Amino acid sequence: MKALTANRLIDGDVVFWKAGKWVERFGDADLFDDPGAAEAAEGQAKSQPTVVIDPYLIDLMESDGLWAPLSYRERIRALGPTNHPSHGKQAEGGEVIEALLHADGAARSSGRVNLIKRK
Amino acid sequence: MPTLIRRQDDDQFILGDDPFTAVADDEGLPPGDVIISFARFQAEGDRLLAEGRAVGVRLEPAEEVEALAYDLPRIAVVALAFPKYRDGRAYTAARLLRQRFAYAGEVRAVGEVLREQAGFMVRCGFDAFAPADGASPQDWAHAVHRHRHVYQRAADLRTPAYVEREGG
Amino acid sequence: MYQYDAVDQEFVADRAREFREQVARRLSGELSEDQFKTLRLMNGLYLQLHAYMLRIAIPYGSLNARQMRRLAHIGRTYDRGYGHFTTRQNLQFHWIKLRDAPDILDQLAEVDMHAIQTSGNCIRNVTSDPYAGATAEELDDPRVWSEAIRQWSSLHPEFSFLPRKFKIAITAAPNDRTAAKVHDIGLMIRRGRDGQLGFEVIVGGGLGRTPYVGPTIAEFLPANRLFSYLEAILRVYNRHGRRDNIYKARIKILVAALGAEEFARQVAEEWAKIGPEGDLPDTELARIRGAFATTVFEALPATSEVFETAKAADPALARFARNNLRPHKKPGYTIVEVSLKTIGDTPGDATSDQMDVIADLAERYGQDDIRVTHEQNLVLPHVRLDDVPEVFAQLQATGLASANVNLISDIIACPGLDYCALANARAIPVAQQIAQTFADPDRAEAIGELKIKISGCINACGHHHVGHIGILGVDKKGEEFYQLTLGGSGAEDAAVGKMLGPALPYDKVAAAIDTLVEVYLRERHEGERFLDTYRRTGVEPFKEAVYADAH
Repeated sequence: MKALTANRLIDGDVVFWKAGKWVERFGDADLFDDPGAAEAAEGQAKSQPTVVIDPYLIDLMESDGLWAPLSYRERIRALGPTNHPSHGKQAEGGEVIEALLHADGAARSSGRVNLIKRK
Repeated sequence: MPTLIRRQDDDQFILGDDPFTAVADDEGLPPGDVIISFARFQAEGDRLLAEGRAVGVRLEPAEEVEALAYDLPRIAVVALAFPKYRDGRAYTAARLLRQRFAYAGEVRAVGEVLREQAGFMVRCGFDAFAPADGASPQDWAHAVHRHRHVYQRAADLRTPAYVEREGG
Repeated sequence: MYQYDAVDQEFVADRAREFREQVARRLSGELSEDQFKTLRLMNGLYLQLHAYMLRIAIPYGSLNARQMRRLAHIGRTYDRGYGHFTTRQNLQFHWIKLRDAPDILDQLAEVDMHAIQTSGNCIRNVTSDPYAGATAEELDDPRVWSEAIRQWSSLHPEFSFLPRKFKIAITAAPNDRTAAKVHDIGLMIRRGRDGQLGFEVIVGGGLGRTPYVGPTIAEFLPANRLFSYLEAILRVYNRHGRRDNIYKARIKILVAALGAEEFARQVAEEWAKIGPEGDLPDTELARIRGAFATTVFEALPATSEVFETAKAADPALARFARNNLRPHKKPGYTIVEVSLKTIGDTPGDATSDQMDVIADLAERYGQDDIRVTHEQNLVLPHVRLDDVPEVFAQLQATGLASANVNLISDIIACPGLDYCALANARAIPVAQQIAQTFADPDRAEAIGELKIKISGCINACGHHHVGHIGILGVDKKGEEFYQLTLGGSGAEDAAVGKMLGPALPYDKVAAAIDTLVEVYLRERHEGERFLDTYRRTGVEPFKEAVYADAH
């Protein structure tokens, strides 16, 4: 399972792809079962250079019956920094956030497909 | 005839004609004024100059400007290449041409030449620009004149802050 | 301190206006992200994991109350009410929006601040001694030279597209508080036999993937020839530094490849061609020097009865005095270090409210002068001993009275994977766990000076190579592991630490540090710091204990 993510150009916020638009919560993101559909969405996203920066697909894993990013880095992006629980998306709480917080196991700290680190 | 942005003595920028043809090493030589690589200049420069043509030399960043010193009086244009705009070696080459070798011919910026570099280039002594981003002479002038003050002496005639202050 | 004149003010205002245009061109799509990235980085704006990060220059770590208040205001208005002081004496805001960045630069320009060249392959903010102008150790005021370099390097026409970033440090005291030997250029002010001022010039130190303690290429450069010499170094580097491999592009690689002697020869040859024309006129240096000479001190007795009485009555103040005060050059004054390493908090973070308190204290008790240290603390460099009890009380009230400067809980940590797009592992929570392990202040004092430095990746923003104990976060098959090094130092006795052994998992690091400390306490001779004991015994007893525990 995959999701499509990026940072929004205007404010840098972490966003996820949902039916051709960008949403702020991982819990609202489209989940791609079909790699072809995922890549098609990524292609569409890349044609929006004034909306988002550097869209990319991430791998997901199951956690507490819900989906969570496989990598630790992507979980931190979907949640917020671990040193400030009140900062970032985790502040909102809820079921999906809980599942992300408890996601455990073989996290790859770079979980993005085709990782290119950026400044 | 193709055009170039040229800097004039009054620090204004205009679109000017470019009489030179840039010729790659594996291309045949057209008639008229040409810009060729340093290697080709070494092999064919004498002959071309004897034909009465104006000849320019294109220097890649790794080529040392000192190697040109002896020939500078015969060279009409030194085209300094920016294979990437992040490659800053040509700034040094331009300054040395102007300040160390007192080269009075044209110093042209070619390659990935973007308006954001304009201010740096002019300060280092470039006076002709082949922008890769479609910038107009107005864009160029705007970028060059954006900063009212400079802190260093360079190859242009701008007064550095420490001199400005003495006057103030 | 230095005051901007109209030239300086217009310069930063022009720069802010330029960036506003560049942002508009990016938003309209005229500039691609790739083109814009270089421009935003040259104004200190990164894209990190959660938002943009803006790195604001605090030149040579020096600022006044008005500037600190403006930083507090920016933190409150555009960030989440705090900021992060860095190992290069700068301030980072971690929750910045691109649309706000031009307004923030305008706000900074209003108080003579900027974010120019806090990133990018250019000459970065100059690091200097946070005790400058206050310590009796110094031969000259290094801020004079730092400020002159700040100006000289700002939008330098020739050196703004170097092979890689370029960092200069200047110190004038034998106790090096700038990590000069691990900078691209380290300048150590020296006095010649005839009394003339000069610099020992160290080039090609650095951390990152390939750490080096830099070699000296000039034992004594006459001070008035500094700028032509810098130009020569930068020119040799700009022409010959590698551009084909980002990991080999720093000047340290060039110096190591050529050898220090050959590099020095090439610099000397270029320097001779540049000549004195490349130097800054003495009049300009005198003008800058004048700006730093305005601090006026009262004639005071060397000891303060008020202070001594308060200290005797309050053990907490006595502890603060032991660990956070440093001798001042003038009798009756002291240098106050304000620790940003409150146990359990993020190293280097200060809230906007705390910044306001520091600004008030500086204005009221500290000659309107504040410094940032490369160890991520703040300094009030000129406080009367009489005022220390009051300053301490106000620091206590705002949660900034930790008496742990140079102790084991005074940990340097980069932002790590909690924020940074380059990181492999977290650094902050590791620092928090270690600090909590040594929360007992008596134990921390008994351990004495011990510098722990943590980086979340090999880029080494947390200076792990030069920690007495260094900790490097690595990614081992997707999990956070930490590589320990021992015996590093960023001070005058600079050294790169040696690897202890295999990397440890996240939850074993604090316990391993505890074990290292126990070995030190067992092995140490009278008067030895952790570093001294390590240097005497070597790595073996430490290694044995840590990996015996790990099994």
